[in-house]
Amino acid sequence: MLRSAAGQRRLLAFLLLAFFLVYWIPFSNAFPGWVPLQFGSYRIFQATTIAMWAIVALGLNILTGYNGQISLGHGAFVALGGYTSAILIFDHNWPFWATIPIAGLLTGAVGFLVGLPALRLTGPYLAIATLALALSTPQILQKYEGLTHGSQGINIDSPTPPGILDGDLVHWINMDDTQYLYFLALLAAFIMTIVAWNIVRSRIGRAFVAIRDSEIAAQAMGISVPRFKTMAFAISAFFAGICGGVYVQVIGFVSPRSFDVLQSINYLTTIVVGGLASILGSILGAAVFVLVPETNSLLERLHLPAADQAPDVLYGASLILVMIFMPYGFAGFIRRLSRLQPPLVMQSFSDFFGQVGLRVRTIRSNAGGGGSGASDGKKRDGSS
Amino acid sequence: MELFLQQVLTGLATGAVYGLVALAIVLIYRSTDVINFAQGQMAMFTTFFAWMLLDGSFLGFHIHPLHFWIAFPLTLAFGIILGAVLERVVIRPVEGRPILTIVIVTLGLFSVFSGLATWSWGGIPKAFPPPPEIEVTGISFFGDGALDIGPTVISYHDLTIMVVAVGIMLALYAFFQYTPIGLGMRATAQNPVAARLMGIRVGNMLTLGWALSAAVGAVGGMMIAPLVLLQPPMMLGVLLYAFAAAVLGGMDSAPGAVVGGLILGIVENLVGTYTTEEYLHVDWFGPEMKLTAALVVIVLVLMIRPTGLFGRKTLRRV
Repeated sequence: MLRSAAGQRRLLAFLLLAFFLVYWIPFSNAFPGWVPLQFGSYRIFQATTIAMWAIVALGLNILTGYNGQISLGHGAFVALGGYTSAILIFDHNWPFWATIPIAGLLTGAVGFLVGLPALRLTGPYLAIATLALALSTPQILQKYEGLTHGSQGINIDSPTPPGILDGDLVHWINMDDTQYLYFLALLAAFIMTIVAWNIVRSRIGRAFVAIRDSEIAAQAMGISVPRFKTMAFAISAFFAGICGGVYVQVIGFVSPRSFDVLQSINYLTTIVVGGLASILGSILGAAVFVLVPETNSLLERLHLPAADQAPDVLYGASLILVMIFMPYGFAGFIRRLSRLQPPLVMQSFSDFFGQVGLRVRTIRSNAGGGGSGASDGKKRDGSS
Repeated sequence: MELFLQQVLTGLATGAVYGLVALAIVLIYRSTDVINFAQGQMAMFTTFFAWMLLDGSFLGFHIHPLHFWIAFPLTLAFGIILGAVLERVVIRPVEGRPILTIVIVTLGLFSVFSGLATWSWGGIPKAFPPPPEIEVTGISFFGDGALDIGPTVISYHDLTIMVVAVGIMLALYAFFQYTPIGLGMRATAQNPVAARLMGIRVGNMLTLGWALSAAVGAVGGMMIAPLVLLQPPMMLGVLLYAFAAAVLGGMDSAPGAVVGGLILGIVENLVGTYTTEEYLHVDWFGPEMKLTAALVVIVLVLMIRPTGLFGRKTLRRV
């Protein structure tokens, strides 16, 4: 056994996660009633959606988190990928699996072209320029109806499990459509996670981070800033295109209304809430995003008036609270938990009240100093 | 030619609305580097407050309906307090964090205000009473009807909005240029550390920036509401155009915001008019793509001037 203890623990965690994702989520609905935590077909569909949005979040995180370029236009890339796949399937009878890589590559190429003018823009200017992309996409899709079938959209048949898997050949694997789509999305998300993982840990990823931290310093190190910035756009768009391709298979329908501006803004929210510059954060963000309506129905059971009357209020308020109390998003929160460090929440908590005027003794300030020892000690106990 | 002039005039009127909201966005951006996505919803919220005062049903209580010119300063005060409280309670805790974090917080505020408004007043559009008419040299501000300018006409309401936008801009210019507080705010925007060393209360200046911006937004909301009916999503379209206008003019320039708004309004109207079948005999473009055209113009301008028409170029020292 050459593996270190930490390595073994990581392997165990990975195997448990794999078991959960590949076996428990899709097949637990056939378990006997007394087994806890079963996933009905709606839950499986939700897991599928999480996998799907994780792909675009990974791509956007490479662009925004690692490379520091903001994009409010990723809905347009997802739309392009989705339409590419749908048109190839609907008008040209391609098999669905062949269209997804094509969708990714085409979108990546367009992303490269968008990245060229984006080179000159930063901050709010880039945000608005990319927002323009997202805003005009529905109009363009509606206008060129010869290609896109206009406002009625394109309906395709979602892929169904091939003969081997739906019980014809091997009767103990009986997979229905929902489970099959889940596996498709999971496979795509898995591959894209590996790809993202490798990109951010390669020379390219290090160049991205160097450019984000200081363009001038990166240039001095011999990194071609324009090349890597456009590359970040292309890679990011590639991810969004793949996500679009998977989206069409899962939903079975695209129309200009599928990709509105709010969607693009939500992608950005996803990665910031999940954790910028973090692979785990992208995935967690997607999960949080899909599961937010769930917490609402949870709160409804507590008879909070806002839960059923104004879910937006709770959503907005939780967004604000997450940003205040989890400065590095969910990924940062979990990272600290896994190291058994007290979450930053307590620190932010005292910062927060210190700033709005209610003085709460800070935990980190010099331990010996300060007069009111009693309250000081109490606070310290509470945090550690 | 008449049609052209008429469209330019109408464009100016639409553009003035964009410019007004863009002004509010620029005010916050200049002093705090934050793009406030909640600007439109804050304006909508304050406008609902004004509507309650005018309508006489204050959060379920019956009050005497107030006259417009009493409700107006009350609404401004409400806007100022709202902006200041938001800055203190919600924005201050994330101050100094990455810009994206703050942007997400404003997106959260966006949701909160949409939700609160729907919750308290419902989604049914309400008619917002226009302000009482004021006769100045034959022009009836806020009134019905239109003014003839040569061969073209402009409705009094559009004219009023333009006058108000320009008036606010001038007032803000005077405030920033000639008052000590304005000077302090400019100093804070330029270099917070140095400003603090000079004895400027930087925190107060930031709060004031939000308060001012909320007040400008409130005026914008009250100007727009009679035109589009008062309802929670009423500012969405305007907000996006206002962002575009602010960027077009340069995010740190107040006159730029108004000019950007006007240009955007004119381009939008002209494209909408001259790309119909009648004028343009192509099938790949049409008036329904006027938003796209306006956005293409903005992106093209940004290609040539990456910080907008009036924006200052930022130089960074290593």
